[in-house]
Amino acid sequence: MEKMKLKLLYSDLKSDIEIIEKELETAVNSSSHLINDASLHLLQAGGKRIRPIFVLLGAKFGDYQIDKIKDVAVPLELIHMASLVHDDVIDDSDMRRGRPTVKSQWNNRVAMYTGDFIFARALEYITKLEDPHVHQILARTMVEICNGEVIQIEDKYRLNQGLKDYFRRIKRKTALLISSSCELGAVAAGVDKKTVNHLKRFGYFVGMSFQIIDDILDIMATDKELGKPAGSDLLQGNITLPILLLKDDPHMQPYLTKVFAGTLTEPERQEMLKYVRKSEAIKQANKMSDQYLKKALKEIDALPKHPVKKKLRDLALVMGKRKF
Amino acid sequence: MDATYIQNSILQLKTDIFMDVRHKTLQKYTGDPVLDENQLFYLLVPFFNGEEWEHEQKEAAITVGIVYAALAAHDHIKELDATSKEQQLTVLAGDFYSGRYYEILAASGNVALIRSLSQGIVARCEHQIKVYEQEERTVEQWFAAVENIEAGLIAQFFELYAFEQYVALVEKGLLYFRLERELAAHQCGQTSLFNTCIEKSAIHEGTTYERVMQNKIVQLKAEILQDIKQASFLQDDIKWALEARVEANVVSTNG
Repeated sequence: MEKMKLKLLYSDLKSDIEIIEKELETAVNSSSHLINDASLHLLQAGGKRIRPIFVLLGAKFGDYQIDKIKDVAVPLELIHMASLVHDDVIDDSDMRRGRPTVKSQWNNRVAMYTGDFIFARALEYITKLEDPHVHQILARTMVEICNGEVIQIEDKYRLNQGLKDYFRRIKRKTALLISSSCELGAVAAGVDKKTVNHLKRFGYFVGMSFQIIDDILDIMATDKELGKPAGSDLLQGNITLPILLLKDDPHMQPYLTKVFAGTLTEPERQEMLKYVRKSEAIKQANKMSDQYLKKALKEIDALPKHPVKKKLRDLALVMGKRKF
Repeated sequence: MDATYIQNSILQLKTDIFMDVRHKTLQKYTGDPVLDENQLFYLLVPFFNGEEWEHEQKEAAITVGIVYAALAAHDHIKELDATSKEQQLTVLAGDFYSGRYYEILAASGNVALIRSLSQGIVARCEHQIKVYEQEERTVEQWFAAVENIEAGLIAQFFELYAFEQYVALVEKGLLYFRLERELAAHQCGQTSLFNTCIEKSAIHEGTTYERVMQNKIVQLKAEILQDIKQASFLQDDIKWALEARVEANVVSTNG
C-alpha cells in the first residue's frame, strides 16, 4: 500500500527513475563475480529510492537535466546502500527487507569489501561533477553519518539519555543524507542559494519525521511486515523514541532489565510489544514526528512557486504517515 | 639525505595522517590507524628524490595514507561474529577514515585525486575479495592480486602526478615485502587466506608453496636491485636508501 502510494507519487518521474535504476546496476558492475552477486542481491532487495527521488525533486527548481542530475542521484543511493551493508555487520543482522543480508549470505569480510566497493563507486561516479562545493557537502555528510553511528554505539543500552541525545543521533543517522539529497539535487541544477537552503531544511525535517516513524514502526509493525522481529532496535540496545519516552515507566523496567541482560524470552517480547503499542509513548512519538512534518511543510511554503511543490508536500505526507 | 632524515619524514607523514583522522572514541576503542611504514616510505620516494612536492603533493600523500588505513581497518574485521564493541567501531573507523580522505580532498577541490583513489579502491576490493571466490587462479595471478592490494593506490597517486617512473619500483618493492611477511608467517605456522590460495594453486601447478614463494622473493629482489641500479632518474642517495631497505627487509608495522 505504502509502496503503491509512493509509486503513484513518482509516476511523472517514472522514466527518470528507470534511468537511475539502470545506472545503479551499471555502477555496481564489477570484474569480481562475488561483488556482482552481492551488489545485485542488494539492488534486487529494492528499497524506496527516497534519496534519488529527493535529488530529482530538488533539481526541478533549477536547470533539470537528467543526464547531469543522475550523477548526484545514483551516488547518494549507492552511499545509502553501502552504509546498510556495513550496518548489518555492526548490528549482526541476518535479515533486511525480508532477505538475507550480505554478511549472512556470505560473511562479514565479503560485506566489508562489498560496502567499500560500493562507497568507492559512489565517489567515482560523483566525480563526474567537478564543482568542489558538491563534494564538500557530500563529504561532510558522510563524516557526520559516521559520527552519528559512533554515537549510536556509545549510547547503546544507556538509559540515562535524553531526547536531545536521540534527536542528535537520528539527525546524523537519517536526516542529514535526505537533507543533502535535496540540497545536492538543487546545487547540481544551479538553483539559487535561498531556495537551496529551504530545500536543505525541508529534507532535514522530513528526514527527522521519517526516522521517528521508522522507530515507531519497529514496534508497531509485525515481524512479517518488517522482515525481522518487531522491537529489533531495542533488542540490539538502541534506545528509540518510544522506549525513551517509557524508560521511567515502572511497568517497562522489568522488560528493559531483561533486554539488557539478554534474557528476554519470546513470550516476554510479545508482552512488551503489546504494552508499548498501547502506551501513550506511541502517540507522543507520532506527535513529535508530526511537528517535524509541519516544519517541513512550512519550508515548502517558502519555496518559489513551482508545480513540484505539491509533489514535495505529498511525498512528505506519505513518508510521515506511512504504516510500514 | 640520510637514514635519520628518511625515518623522520616517515614519522612526520604518520603524524600528519593521525592528526587528520583523530577521533576520541575511535582512538579509545580501536587505537591508532594501522599504517605500514614500507608503504609510507614508497609513498615519499618521489619527495626524497627531489621531485616537485608542494602542499598539493604533500596533502595527496597524506590522503593516500588515510585510504590505506581505512582499508586496513576493514581487513581486521572477523569473518564471523564481529559483535564486540571494538569490532563494531573498527567498521566505523574504516568508514570514518574514508569520509575524512574525501573531506580533505573536497576542501582543496582535488576532484581528480578523489576519482583516481576511488578507482584504486574499487580495484583493491575486487582483488581482496578473490580469496572468497571459487575460481581457480594461477600462482602468478595471486601475486598480481597481492601487488595491487599493496601498491595499487600509491601507483594511482604516482600516475596522476606524473611520477610514473616510480610505479614499478613501488609495485615490486611492496610485493616483495608482503611475500616475505607471508612466508615468515607461514613458517611460524600461521595461516592466511592468501597463503592458503597460493598453496592450493602451487599444488595445482605441480610445485610447493615454499618453492613458489622463495623463487618469487629471490626473483623480485634481483629485479628490484637491478631496477634501482639502472634507474637514471634516481639520485645516488635515494638509490642507497631503496637498496638498504630491500637488503635489510625492514619489518613492516602492518598488522
